[in-house]
Amino acid sequence: MRRRPIHIYHADFLLSEFNLRVLPGESVALIGPNGCGKSTVLRLIAGIYSPTSGTIRTIGRVAAVIELGAGFNQELTGAENIELYASIMGLTREQLAKRYGEIVEFAGIPGFMNMPVKYYSSGMQARLAFSVAINIRPEILLMDEVLAVGDEAFQRRCLEHLQAFRRGGGTLITVSHDLETIRALCTRAVWLDHGRIRMAGEINEVVEAYLAASRG
Amino acid sequence: MKRTPILVELWRFRGLLRSLVVRDLKVKYQRSLLGLVWTLLNPLLTVAILVTVFSYVLRIQVDRYWAFLISGLFAWNFLQQCLYHAVALLRDNAHLNRSVYFPREILLLSAALSKMVEFLIELAIVALVLLVFHHHTIPSSFVFGPIIIAILFVMVVGLMFPLAVLAVFFYDVQQALPIVILSLFYLSPVFYPVEMVPGSFRPFMYLNPVTGILSLFHTVFYNGLWPSWTLLGTVAATAMALFTLGYWIFRRYQGICVEIA
Repeated sequence: MRRRPIHIYHADFLLSEFNLRVLPGESVALIGPNGCGKSTVLRLIAGIYSPTSGTIRTIGRVAAVIELGAGFNQELTGAENIELYASIMGLTREQLAKRYGEIVEFAGIPGFMNMPVKYYSSGMQARLAFSVAINIRPEILLMDEVLAVGDEAFQRRCLEHLQAFRRGGGTLITVSHDLETIRALCTRAVWLDHGRIRMAGEINEVVEAYLAASRG
Repeated sequence: MKRTPILVELWRFRGLLRSLVVRDLKVKYQRSLLGLVWTLLNPLLTVAILVTVFSYVLRIQVDRYWAFLISGLFAWNFLQQCLYHAVALLRDNAHLNRSVYFPREILLLSAALSKMVEFLIELAIVALVLLVFHHHTIPSSFVFGPIIIAILFVMVVGLMFPLAVLAVFFYDVQQALPIVILSLFYLSPVFYPVEMVPGSFRPFMYLNPVTGILSLFHTVFYNGLWPSWTLLGTVAATAMALFTLGYWIFRRYQGICVEIA
């Protein structure tokens, strides 16, 4: 009988010499090749992972949108999942009650709220999840490659909402491969490669450098 | 990373705790035709079978065996269901745990609480039945009910914590659990009173923490007697010790579990 040994993968550290300071109201994009550690950074900031060494300090409420609809239960209806997902993300019942209407309206699929989400299309589920997440209104919003959900109209709405979030003083840190969108949304970029910061600075400079490197 | 005290965090996430408990109960009964009736049907069947076997085949000499059995069986059910849930908990929720920040204790507590809700309904019915058909009066010992329920809860959660973490590191835990539960079923006074165990072996029975809590349930609900303070104190202390140790293990290792589950 084959015994499965315990594997705790201790490769080299996922991130090294990582120092980042984000001021309130800034919006930073994390870009880089797959596997370079971008999602890990978000998870560390959100408190999902604990660092092996070093410290992370956040001031204000952090909401992380890393995998859309992670808390969704397929058997429950849209309305019930909104309640569940919102509470997982940290909204109290009072806050949710106030924003419930906005969430439903933002998702743009009003007639489906009483239907179990397993009957939704994947696009519908993503829209619902994103709608909840975007209405959390934290001080710091972390997003991991979730910008590209829903149809054109919905994506435009999301972008507008995120701009409004920024104007309201919110801090945004996003991981994305969609360079056009992040150019519109972010002022700074950090280029991560194999767990190290390769370049950090103004958004267009970094994006250009990254594109040049990818072509070459 | 600065860590907020756990009780503060739990209070902050109390809405989530409530949502999860409600979700657990809803999902369980939403699609089934008989709904809440299943809560009772399943254990009722077990009771019927055990009573038949131990009253007519292997005759256990207990006055009104059925009354004895139901006074402890549901506590046992609660324990075993929670343990089974605990070994799968962190793995099943691995996706969620990697995506959102929330205190992982909530997963465990919500599972235990939703099973506690079912247990309380069952126990209420048991108490009623015993009142009417067995005691023909309300024994004053029933007042100890809430205390022993609380002790049971603390003990069970204390066992769930380390189990959940161990199950992530060791695949075998999930395989071994059915055997452990089965052994515990025979080694604890679930379907026989602890008084039946020969004097020389009885102390060893009490090494098993489940023995103490079950015999408390028997004393209070079946015998209608006040439990001895020694027994009550010992079982309470054991439950708290298990909880403290179990929770310490959980706190120490749950961070790593998020990464490898």
